[in-house]
Amino acid sequence: MNKVGFILKDYLVLLMILGLALVTAIIQPKFISPANLNNIMRQFGPLILVALGMTFVIVGGFIDLSVAGTINLVAVVTITLIDPLGQVGALIAGLVIGSICGAINAGLILTSGATTQAEALFITFGMSTVYSSLALIYSGGSTFHFWDLKEMPNMFEAIGAGSVGPLSVSFVIFLGALALLWIFHTKMAAGRAISLTGGNKTAARLSGVPIERSIVLIYTIAGFMAALGAIVLFSRVTTASPVIGAGFETNAILAVVVGGTTLKGGKGSVLRTVMGVLLVILLNNCLNLLGVSSYMQWAARGAILVFAIWLDNRKEVQGNQL
Amino acid sequence: MDTAGSQIILSIRDVTKSFPGVRALNGVSIDVRRGMVHGVVGENGAGKSTLMKILSGVYKKDTGTIVFDGKTIDHTTPYESMHRGLAIIYQELNLVNSMSVGENIFLGRFKEMKGMRGTHAKARELLDSIGCKVSTTKLVSELSVSTKQMVEISKALSFQSKLIIMDEPSTSLTGEEMSLLVKIIHQLKAQGISIIYISHKLEEIFDFCDVVTVMRDGNVIDTKPRGEFTRDELITKMVGRTIENEYPERSRQVGETLMEVKGINTRKLHDVSFTLRKGEILGLVGLVGAGRTETVRAIFGADRVRGHKVTIGGKPVTIHNPKQAKDAGLGLIPEDRKLQGLVLPFSVEQNISMASIDRFTRFGFLIKSLEKGIGARHVKSLGIKTPNTKVAIKNLSGGNQQKCIVGRWMEIGPSIFIMDEPTKGIDVGAKYEIYLLMKEIAEKGGAVILISSELPEVLNMSNRVLTIYDGRITGEFDPEHIPADVIMRAALGLGGAS
Repeated sequence: MNKVGFILKDYLVLLMILGLALVTAIIQPKFISPANLNNIMRQFGPLILVALGMTFVIVGGFIDLSVAGTINLVAVVTITLIDPLGQVGALIAGLVIGSICGAINAGLILTSGATTQAEALFITFGMSTVYSSLALIYSGGSTFHFWDLKEMPNMFEAIGAGSVGPLSVSFVIFLGALALLWIFHTKMAAGRAISLTGGNKTAARLSGVPIERSIVLIYTIAGFMAALGAIVLFSRVTTASPVIGAGFETNAILAVVVGGTTLKGGKGSVLRTVMGVLLVILLNNCLNLLGVSSYMQWAARGAILVFAIWLDNRKEVQGNQL
Repeated sequence: MDTAGSQIILSIRDVTKSFPGVRALNGVSIDVRRGMVHGVVGENGAGKSTLMKILSGVYKKDTGTIVFDGKTIDHTTPYESMHRGLAIIYQELNLVNSMSVGENIFLGRFKEMKGMRGTHAKARELLDSIGCKVSTTKLVSELSVSTKQMVEISKALSFQSKLIIMDEPSTSLTGEEMSLLVKIIHQLKAQGISIIYISHKLEEIFDFCDVVTVMRDGNVIDTKPRGEFTRDELITKMVGRTIENEYPERSRQVGETLMEVKGINTRKLHDVSFTLRKGEILGLVGLVGAGRTETVRAIFGADRVRGHKVTIGGKPVTIHNPKQAKDAGLGLIPEDRKLQGLVLPFSVEQNISMASIDRFTRFGFLIKSLEKGIGARHVKSLGIKTPNTKVAIKNLSGGNQQKCIVGRWMEIGPSIFIMDEPTKGIDVGAKYEIYLLMKEIAEKGGAVILISSELPEVLNMSNRVLTIYDGRITGEFDPEHIPADVIMRAALGLGGAS
């Protein structure tokens, strides 16, 4: 296998992003208008946060479908806590609830003795429905708006619509989260343990790597990041409904895998996920600008996911030496 | 032996193959003649497997020519080479466990056989031709390794193979099964079929190979008729240096009790108790499945076993998971290198350092320079052959991978080192180095528990041997003074415990 081929495959996503942007900009110059770029930056917010958390779960060799339920629950609980607890109190409560949801997933996986991605898939799918129904029960099915609150929550408004210099606040939150998670994953012992757990659970365990701790960490991080995503999301739309998180789990997994993190576990990076999210969002944005119907867009998204998995497996075949 | 007389069926000329960072084959040339058994020997990493995988079409060669049966072969796939008459029987046999013997032989060709009746009839014929009596309707999952090999050979014959490559076929065969295989090999030879026989076991090479090729580090070192090789010459050419003995001298510094294990009881194990002394190599002998591996896994906390007592250095210890075992001074080389030992996509360095992450962590942060030092140190001291410590461990040969796992534990420096089949699939040179390591650990006041299916290895290395049969310890022996057959009888549950 020649080196060029490897590099091409490794950076294919990046090339696809550039190609897509270029083609769209030529066909539809509106694409590079400040309004549209700002729009892209804001869309980046919630999904990337959820996807960054999901990266750890997938690198650790598992998967988390419960983030949609977590987002639903955190969104409605946080917004209703603004009046009684104040904005900071509500924010902290929301993040804690998200983390607890994640920790519960980890607890269930550990106590049930689940070791495969498939088992984790079904457990977290089940928990997603549990968290979603809790959100519905808690909210009584109704939607909450900022203007219903006693006073306008200016901190949440800033999260949703504010700017720091040329960057939106949600983008700054993203940059901060990315930096912290990247350092955690690549520079810290616990991050290494997560990668080893995903690379080979049995070997890691027999070498005394605490795989139970890794499992608790990856799901708690995923829950925390889902909660952060939920907060950025409802702040942007100034509204929290108990079904606000629908579809986030699949989009997050899509972004992680398209970015090049392998579903087999062990290898991957939050930086790759950033590329993956960028591609997914650009794809939506471009197809919208080009006037492609939303049904066709779903098909395009699905095709890209399948392509990414295919590509990953191809790499595996060629990397399989001796 | 007229090795020059018969016609050349396979001609390999100047074949090279590189993987990123590794030159696996370096201008290899071999001629295989019709109706000959051609032995290929070499240490792990010598390039044997790579060459065979090029022949079968799993890999593509970089340069060189291959002529098989008069035709030049450039690109091929495993399926094409089978049809061309070149069959490979891999060590980890390629059969569908959930299907019957007959179905496996004619997999994908039921139509050509005119349905299942024809399939089974033809399969019967093939199996009979090599003297195998297994029913064609039996599921492959119920067969022994030896019978599975017979099925593979029948499958090869069903393609009218002119050349059959056997990759380490004897690894999991008993003596009797082996002599059956030899008989079949002679029979195939008489039919004019050529055989490439890859093996680490020199007895086999001298037993029935006509021509022997020695490979080392991706090169062919020598090809000669068997009769022109002496045993010592063969070993020297394989390892590139002289090895006087297959085993180092037994260490003799056995001291006081180091570990005491009392009353391991599981569904499979019955009241397993024993002691381990300082400076001792303790061998566990028994059949596969007798409870050897289960015993050490229970001690190491790898399986959920409760109720037994372990004391180390007089102090009772609780070991419920491998982490606690590690902290108590235990180390384990697991039975299955790939599934239980290695993290394949990770680098050599990361595989070596993974048990000792604490040692290069400060305030939760990894100190990469320290990790690099750990990797480099063990690569050097164990003589691990790798272009650098950053390559993925899956690119290394089996023996070098095993050394990485040894290095992983040497960094911790366990006082009790459990080695479950530590030399499985490893060549002579690397084996000897692992023996020396065992001895070194013992002489430094540690102890080793050795499990191996190779009886000579256990008997030559151990100070004391325990036999396990059906989950019970059936005997304790001094291998230096008790004959091997007495020990084997105890391991087979035939009584005679001393």
